[in-house]
Amino acid sequence: MLTYLESYFSLSSDQIRSWFEYDPSNPLLFSTSLFLGFFLIFYLVYILTKKYAHFRTVYVFLFSIFFYYKAGGVYFILLILSALINYILSEVMDLSPKKSIRKSILTITVVLNLLVLAYYKYTNFFIDNLNDLFHGNFQLQHIILPVGISFFTFQAISYSIDLYRRELKPAKNVLDFAFYLSFFPQLVAGPIVRAKEFLPQMYQEISLSKKEAGLALFLIITGLIKKSVISDYISLNFVDRIFDSPLSYTPFETLMAAYGYTLQIYCDFSGYSDMAIGIALLMGFKLPENFRTPYKSLSVTEFWRRWHITLSRWLRDYLYIPLGGNRKGKFRTYINLFLTMLIGGLWHGAAWKYIAWGALHGGALAVERLFRQFVKLPEKNILVNLFCGLLTFHFVAFCWIFFRAADFGVARTVIENITRLEYNPEAWLTVIQAYRNVFILIFAGFILHFTPKRLSDMVEMCFLKLPYIGRAIIVGGVFWLVYATASSSTQPFIYFQF
Amino acid sequence: MEQKTNNYFFKSFLTIVIAIGIFWGLKQVLPGRLFPESTAAISGIVIDSLALDAMSNDSLSISEGDSLVSDTLINRVKIETSDNSEGIGNLVNFYEKLYDLETSGKGKVRIAYFGDSMNDGDLIVQDIRSAYQNQYGGKGVGFVGITSLSASARYSVTHQFSKNWETQSFLNVKKPKRAFGVDGQVSFVPRGSQTWLKYTANDVANATLLYNPTLFYGSSSNHNASVNISFSKDSTVRYELITSKLLNTLKLSPSTKTLKATFEKADSIPFYGINFDDGSGVHVDNFSLRGNSGLPLSLFNKDLMNALDRVLNYDLIVLQYGTNVLGYGTTDYSWYESKMSGVVNHLQQCFPNASILIISTGDRAVKTNMEMQTDKAVEPLVKHQKLYAEGTHSGFINLYTLMGGYGSMVKWVQENPSLANKDYTHFNQKGAKKIGGLIYGELDKGYFEYKKLRESGRISARPKNSTQSDDL
Repeated sequence: MLTYLESYFSLSSDQIRSWFEYDPSNPLLFSTSLFLGFFLIFYLVYILTKKYAHFRTVYVFLFSIFFYYKAGGVYFILLILSALINYILSEVMDLSPKKSIRKSILTITVVLNLLVLAYYKYTNFFIDNLNDLFHGNFQLQHIILPVGISFFTFQAISYSIDLYRRELKPAKNVLDFAFYLSFFPQLVAGPIVRAKEFLPQMYQEISLSKKEAGLALFLIITGLIKKSVISDYISLNFVDRIFDSPLSYTPFETLMAAYGYTLQIYCDFSGYSDMAIGIALLMGFKLPENFRTPYKSLSVTEFWRRWHITLSRWLRDYLYIPLGGNRKGKFRTYINLFLTMLIGGLWHGAAWKYIAWGALHGGALAVERLFRQFVKLPEKNILVNLFCGLLTFHFVAFCWIFFRAADFGVARTVIENITRLEYNPEAWLTVIQAYRNVFILIFAGFILHFTPKRLSDMVEMCFLKLPYIGRAIIVGGVFWLVYATASSSTQPFIYFQF
Repeated sequence: MEQKTNNYFFKSFLTIVIAIGIFWGLKQVLPGRLFPESTAAISGIVIDSLALDAMSNDSLSISEGDSLVSDTLINRVKIETSDNSEGIGNLVNFYEKLYDLETSGKGKVRIAYFGDSMNDGDLIVQDIRSAYQNQYGGKGVGFVGITSLSASARYSVTHQFSKNWETQSFLNVKKPKRAFGVDGQVSFVPRGSQTWLKYTANDVANATLLYNPTLFYGSSSNHNASVNISFSKDSTVRYELITSKLLNTLKLSPSTKTLKATFEKADSIPFYGINFDDGSGVHVDNFSLRGNSGLPLSLFNKDLMNALDRVLNYDLIVLQYGTNVLGYGTTDYSWYESKMSGVVNHLQQCFPNASILIISTGDRAVKTNMEMQTDKAVEPLVKHQKLYAEGTHSGFINLYTLMGGYGSMVKWVQENPSLANKDYTHFNQKGAKKIGGLIYGELDKGYFEYKKLRESGRISARPKNSTQSDDL
């Protein structure tokens, strides 16, 4: 990290060009020194010009487009086109007095957005299944999935629907809308921001309170620790290799990989979200919370109120409720719940394993709803809560196996291998000793996750109360932690004799 | 004191700038790596003790193997195939047998493929076997050991065994109770317990049945042992185990889909494995063992291996090693070269009619300057592997350059769909298939050249070796 700054005096033109050119094998991420360098310069200009709203809009939009180019290449053109077309359609719709016309234009907008998403994300999945069904031989297309397309498409759809529902004042001009759609902190991996929460912030004078400034840095460093220390290390050195070839490993290692992935996906995803929220906050924009220690949930229903909150809310408002929600009788409610999660699963990726993952969650939500109708669990009983918490956690961890495995075959192998687990603490200890660093991080990650909220709030408060130099020392320390983790050598390969 | 809000923008900016300065300072004084490599030896981990001894220059003397066998093989020829292989002319014995098989349609060719975790689950080897059997005939997965740490990873044959087998491996035992078998292991049945083995053929081309299952075991003063064989739902056959010879074979059943062998009163008998082959064409045995550097092959008992060779008649010995001596921080592999030269010479005495082929390590990537890059030890290791191949008159295939040379492992991992695992060391099914194809391709090019020379009369037919073959 920061080699860029160190080699400041010995830069070659190739190196400088590489900073500004898209490199598919090295997409720009928040957790890189290159982003830090770009952001610092961007931020300085941003601060100096923040009084000039119009300049700010253009400036941030251009930086967002550049950021997208560095993260996903030429598809920034698609983002610009999406902004343009969605804005025009929404404007036409908003200016139409007749409800029927408004509805038709909304339908066109939503279908168009979904078609673009489907083309990029699901064409090959569709062809593949068609070939399987009819023994066809259609050629798979060479389609690259534009980064973040699932996120900005959902944002565009939410804007149109909110506008149709008259829940939102439209953006004042196409540039404002483009600013919203392309806002770089959440562009690539969420949170999915609602226009009605975001646009009003654009039209206020941006501000940053002392508390927000502290919170922004706190979110950035916790995000960095989650993503770049815990998630990246355990995936490269343990989880990935086991999911690559589960039968080469012992049942205990495979079980630990399932737990490891449960932590990894949370740290990766929520860590990135935290960084996005923190960066936006530094710029004076408040993005919605996206994760709230989801593994503390006592039910799958609760899990979806704590996991990828902005997606759950989106699915609820724009899919579950339009499907009829719980307004069409009990049976339809279950069907709607199930369908929502099924489609939610497919949103995560174009493969049956994601659909299966969504179906498992949808099924669990329906079963829980049914269960709650007949059984009333005592609320403050520690044993009941412990049991529900463990059950929920293990159900979610089990579902992640489908999410992570390359295909159903691998998922089945992982599950079968875990079922072969035998009680052998001595052997388990050997595995833990051999992968000591990995297990330290997995253990620390879960401990941090399950820390009571009061305690974690206290830590946050302590950070906020620190003088600036104190914060700088902690942030610098986290930078070092990220650097020292990233430069740690890879865990050598280990085989066990049991 | 109330501050203007815009101050907090600047203060945040300054905090980050100072943090970068602090980071720079910390970088000067704190270690560069949060997790240094730990090479703590923990019991229960597969470790090649011979390799460790050799690397640590332990005072324990390691057998250097036999002195160099005089090069009595006639008809050594120069065969050049590609930049990725050398000394392919050293494989004439093997090529001649293959030529006989191809031209007469009769006879057998047998290959012993020794490897490490790269061949776990029959990876690479199954693809080479399949290529040869498709081309020249032959059915069956070949010789399968009694127990295997990676049995569950093998698809070419389902291999299960009871947990109470007492298996000694040449990876961590220098002086076994009885000589090691050809897979580097020897297994015993504990007294008074139910001990069994089960093999099932899968839906794999040329291996849909367990062809002529034959048990291999050693000598013992125990003459009361027997084995019960069940190879269909309700038929069980009981055989006495005759233990008079150094190496004994027992045909267990006709070709069958599944076979279960349950041993009775069979303690103190060394068991080696079961062979499955249809008696014609090409057969390839996979003798891979996780963690093996190749050095333990020096522990083979020559008499036992000669006895085995009289039954199985090996024509080609393949050694694919190297991965397990990478990652120790050294780039000097002269010690490995000399030890492996000894190993190859020893193998030439164990299997006197076989040609020997050395396959180098493939590429392997490790984290260097925060990026995955080719391990700096790979190229020096390949160089020394080439040297011991040359010094022992073996054929040599450079798997590293065959893969694409420097940086190729990273590419194989990043390929879509990927060809190698994220440990940047092992191939996945897809990658192993590709590697199998590449190795077969090199051997096949050599054979093509050999045939040209043979048919133009520049190489004459080799006199058949006169070793007596023991009947199975």
